[in-house]
Amino acid sequence: MAYSDKVLDHYNNPRNVGSLDKSSPSVGTGMVGAPECGDVMKLQIRVNDESGIIEEAKFKTFGCGSAIASSSLATEWLKGKTVDQALEIKNTDIVNELSLPPVKIHCSVLAEDAIKAAIGDYRAKQSKQVPAAHAVV
Amino acid sequence: MSLPCWNCGGCAASRFCDACKALQPPAHDFYEFLGMPRQLALDAKELEKRFYALSRQLHPDLFSRKPVREQEYALESSAVLNDAYRTLKDPIARALYVLKREGFDIAEQGTKDVPPELLEEVFDLNMAIEELSEGDESARAQLESARHRFEVMRNEIDDALQGKFAEWDVAHDRGKLDEIRGQLNRRKYITNLIARTDIAHVSD
Repeated sequence: MAYSDKVLDHYNNPRNVGSLDKSSPSVGTGMVGAPECGDVMKLQIRVNDESGIIEEAKFKTFGCGSAIASSSLATEWLKGKTVDQALEIKNTDIVNELSLPPVKIHCSVLAEDAIKAAIGDYRAKQSKQVPAAHAVV
Repeated sequence: MSLPCWNCGGCAASRFCDACKALQPPAHDFYEFLGMPRQLALDAKELEKRFYALSRQLHPDLFSRKPVREQEYALESSAVLNDAYRTLKDPIARALYVLKREGFDIAEQGTKDVPPELLEEVFDLNMAIEELSEGDESARAQLESARHRFEVMRNEIDDALQGKFAEWDVAHDRGKLDEIRGQLNRRKYITNLIARTDIAHVSD
């Protein structure tokens, strides 16, 4: 099965590959995957704590072209969105944008899971952060 | 259950006919063939003892003056003996064998048993292999330590398996076999990861 042009574009020229400081309270990390088939996806966001806007998104994916393209696209979409808006991103949006065939839909699911995991991690850090700050004061 | 002897029609309850002493076709179940109790925590010394005793008893040379049919049974028996010994002396192969005989599909459902906490490990392993392939020699140490962690995990699984083997032997409970199947799948996954650290090592 041939990859769509958009998948190939993201695969050959992935956006936002890299990583952010995992220990920073403003960074959320999502690590998801299906280790049995070797697909592992790490997606990170850096959120502006005041505006709640995602300023930076990075990913690193080991997997097939569709998995790489799905996460690459996800990071593009994440930037500039608020955390709440980011949660609106659905795997079907990724499927449509990349014209993923049915056998590759799980790659888009992985990307959606990665977004949710990254946001979940960010929020968990933030909720820990607040009482700690009060304690210092 | 005993079949009539192929040679004399007498009772052939065991390996050799009680009446005419002719060698009978081999049992195809390894435990039955070796005359060993159906145990996963098998006595390795006893297994070896039986293997050598049967090797002497069933050597095809001893049957060279016997009817052709009996010579064939001797060859067949030697083949089953070797398979049985090779399979049962290795605890993992032995467990896989018992699972298969009990109707478990080993290949199926392997994915569900992969521990999710391994995700990070698998990611780091992929990173290190990629870095090494790009000429970053510092990744080699990471691979070494990854390999060490995977080996520790494999040893833990082996310990757990030993316990479960002994537990199954008591009551032959199918639920226990299912747990064993899960552990074997995890073990296979870890073994593959160890092999990947090897590939990265050798390819340079």
